[in-house]
Amino acid sequence: MIGVNVSGYGVKSLKETMTKEKLPWRSFADSGSIGQGLIASKWNLSATPTFYIIDPKGVIRSKWVGSPGAKAIDTALDKLIKEAEGNAPEK
Amino acid sequence: MQRIVGGILVLLLGLLVAAAECEGQNKPATPAEQYKAILREYQGASSGGALSDEERMKFVGRVFKLRNKLALKFVELAEKYPKDPIAVDALIQAVWQVNTTPWPVELVGKDDAWLRAFTLLQRDHIRSDKLGSVCQRISFGFCKEYETFLRTVLAKNPHQRVQALACLGLAHFLSHRLQRLDLVKEQPALAKEFEGLFGKAYLEELERQDRAKAIKEAEALFEQAVASYGDVKVPEGGTVGAKAKAELFEIRHLSVGKEALDIEAQDQDGKRFKLRDYRGKVVLLDFWSEF
Repeated sequence: MIGVNVSGYGVKSLKETMTKEKLPWRSFADSGSIGQGLIASKWNLSATPTFYIIDPKGVIRSKWVGSPGAKAIDTALDKLIKEAEGNAPEK
Repeated sequence: MQRIVGGILVLLLGLLVAAAECEGQNKPATPAEQYKAILREYQGASSGGALSDEERMKFVGRVFKLRNKLALKFVELAEKYPKDPIAVDALIQAVWQVNTTPWPVELVGKDDAWLRAFTLLQRDHIRSDKLGSVCQRISFGFCKEYETFLRTVLAKNPHQRVQALACLGLAHFLSHRLQRLDLVKEQPALAKEFEGLFGKAYLEELERQDRAKAIKEAEALFEQAVASYGDVKVPEGGTVGAKAKAELFEIRHLSVGKEALDIEAQDQDGKRFKLRDYRGKVVLLDFWSEF
């Protein structure tokens, strides 16, 4: 999982928050005003959380604005990982 | 975590104060406490917020039933005076719910007004210069009647501003509906809810449509909105052109099946990296904020 933090933090405040809250993932810092930094604007971000699932080829396979629940995300991820494993021997 | 600890402390202090008050026996509430009590009720009166769950359901039921009844009165007014200019305003007021409510009918009653209102708007007022707001509102809806209405307004209404909002509205409507159909496909509970609200036949009809063709139509309408109505202002600010361009970008670059845009920025350790670095892996990209 890769995060894009859109709280308007610079790198330093992002690090502090993630350390404090023990967040284990790697995250881009999208500085600028809250929710309207360069990345958020380019991706038309309208709400957090917004999730994208991207396959090994870089294609968007699922997208949710607002949380669909852990189960829906897990199901979609499992499906793609199985698919990727199935393809792996061909490489 | 600190916030939670703070919350517990406040709660404890509150209990201590309450205990102290009990000891003082029937001490009258301070002006601040009285103010708070009135404020709670005052806010509850309009939102139902401070009520218990059961009271809140009753409250919602009352409000919906009252509005349903008043909406019907608006329709009757318009039926009685079809030639009066106020008729169209009354009908627009009668369309107060974008979709049928997810609340149970026993609780909120039936909305018998909206379909009659739409039939009349379409029959008697399709050329009115006041239809822009309705077109915008129903663009978040789902039912067939809205689609028909938006198409008819776009074809027959002579006012540029109304045409603009009908064009943008129809494009939004079609693309929203497709997005929701995708969700319905992956969530059985949602599918059941939609079947109840909009009918099984309609959902099946939608599932049979050619998805790629439907997206193409939404795209073409957004393009038409940019080309023909780009400078028309949208009531909440901005222009039809800007709104349509954002949606086109969304369809072309930010939707399922498209190659994800690359991101390059610093991580929390100040190290620059790219989303592309993770090609070959399945990535869950999470736009997050702790607020």
